[in-house]
Amino acid sequence: MGTIVIVAAYGVYAAFWIRFLLHALLWWKAVTRPATIVGPLSPSSVKAWAFSARDVVLFWRLLKVNPALWFGEWLFHVSFLFVIMRHLRYVFLPVPEWVWWFQIPGLIAGYILPLSLLYIFIVRMFSVREKYSTPANMVLLGLLFVISSLGLLMVTLFRTDVVAVKLFTIGILSVTPAAVPGSILFLLHFSLVLILIPLLPTHILTAPLVMLEARKRDLGLPLVMHEE
Amino acid sequence: MKNKQSFTEDLSPRQILEIDACTQCGECLKHCPVQDVTGNPAVSPPEKIRMFREFIRASDGLKAKLFGPGEVDRKLLEDFTRAVFECTTCGACGQNCPVGIFTQRLWPMLRKEMVKRGLGPIGIQANLPKAITSSGNPYDKPAADRYRPWFPENAKVADRADVAYYAGCTGSYEAQPMVRGDALVLGAMGEPFTMLPPDEEVCCGFPLFITGQHDLLEDLVKRLVEGYKAKGVRTLVCSCPCCVNIMSRDWPAIYGHELPFTIRHITQFVATAMEQGKLRISKELHERVIYHDPCYLSRGVGVIEEPREVLRRIPGLTLLEFERHGLNSRCCGSGGAARKVFHENAIKMGRLTIDEAVKKKADRLILSCPACYAKVNEAMQEHDKQIRITDIMELISSLI
Repeated sequence: MGTIVIVAAYGVYAAFWIRFLLHALLWWKAVTRPATIVGPLSPSSVKAWAFSARDVVLFWRLLKVNPALWFGEWLFHVSFLFVIMRHLRYVFLPVPEWVWWFQIPGLIAGYILPLSLLYIFIVRMFSVREKYSTPANMVLLGLLFVISSLGLLMVTLFRTDVVAVKLFTIGILSVTPAAVPGSILFLLHFSLVLILIPLLPTHILTAPLVMLEARKRDLGLPLVMHEE
Repeated sequence: MKNKQSFTEDLSPRQILEIDACTQCGECLKHCPVQDVTGNPAVSPPEKIRMFREFIRASDGLKAKLFGPGEVDRKLLEDFTRAVFECTTCGACGQNCPVGIFTQRLWPMLRKEMVKRGLGPIGIQANLPKAITSSGNPYDKPAADRYRPWFPENAKVADRADVAYYAGCTGSYEAQPMVRGDALVLGAMGEPFTMLPPDEEVCCGFPLFITGQHDLLEDLVKRLVEGYKAKGVRTLVCSCPCCVNIMSRDWPAIYGHELPFTIRHITQFVATAMEQGKLRISKELHERVIYHDPCYLSRGVGVIEEPREVLRRIPGLTLLEFERHGLNSRCCGSGGAARKVFHENAIKMGRLTIDEAVKKKADRLILSCPACYAKVNEAMQEHDKQIRITDIMELISSLI
């Protein structure tokens, strides 16, 4: 079982990079071929960068169109980020000081994460104004909920041997695989993460760039037909 | 074999990122006019993007790289084509997108991908290149009838002038009170304006651009730009938001240089003339009027305040607003060259506009787009609610 999990981890890791590179290649091909009719490009400005930073950090555009969903989505993304940062202690040896800063906030975020997912599910399922939910989004939501709940169980009710977990992750990263920790909860948690990674939407990487373009476009709109 | 070609050849780098960046959240559906009248999520913006991602995966994914591009299911391609052509390209989805995807530009480019594969355009949209080649306009009407039925007898057109007026095909053939109003108002300003002869004022290219049929664009744009350049034009005035949109956004790229003249929507030109005292309104109008923002004028090129400034100068007039106005206006159903193909959708959308105007107790619905003018008037036929529909320049010309 341990071998299967380790092989799967390398497979998922390779698939993640292949997927990333294929997306990058597609984009690069578009950059290098002769321009199609794209319309005027809006110039960059400090204002555009500042506004788009607000859009990315605070999900400002979502707040403007759906405050109820924004609350859950923002909480989810922030708590997810803190939980990931907390997990970095399993990756580094020795653990840098800045990773230690995230341990307590990451623990608190671990409680918020499943609750925020539950909240998003309720908003999406029971709000009469919501018309569209893809099965893919629901699968992702369910998967994240189970993974985060298992993680929470492992730091509260069924404590896992963190030394064994660290040896296992460091072993994978250094291509000298160690034994899988004995905890069934960990095995389930880790396996589900392996399933999650290929399903992770690529908007995580591209949405911030699109938000910047959108801000530049918004600020440039009055200039299309008006003098500065 | 065509279906195995890359689906991203005509997309810009930004559009490739945009397709990736859609979170499938579905917020856009609340603002989609096609959703309002069909309620069918299968033709919704996130569903279109989801399907297009599948096409990209088939032509450019890992499996395609290793074993060659796969054939995309024909039914899926047809469903996508219908969905992307049923859209009015109003851009309300993009305006309310939490990521900020520029859908008003993305959908026409996805349409082009389908045209390349012989799947689009749909219905009579396919006749556009032939009609424009033979008659210069998408309606295939004689060039000789372009100005004759509506052009005011007493209005004078100079041979050369700083200012030129482009009437546009939809105005000239389908919304004549509107272009007549334009010509009367321009004439009342007392400054000379020029126009191209009817056989030289050809289509601006917008119907071809929006339906993904780009082959004739360069020829049309060059003919028009050179025509106005020869007349010494420095400002080109037009009342059609779709024409104004392609002129200001795309003509420079298609022409290959900066345009030798400035593009102005008629409401911009008239607002400035009123401010400078060149045009005065002499009559009062004690009415409650409601102004509808055309999608390609508001979201398209950001002309929002000028029509309101013009209307506010009418003594006695009360200006009302739709719930969704300005950048967030709701499409009246005539956009995206869908109105002649998905006629029932367009009529239903037009009636939603009428219903809201009536609900707001407006005496008159003011429009500033020939396509809106033609379709909303059509939508009112046999409708249980009635309101007086007037183009903004038609109204101004009756009060000066």
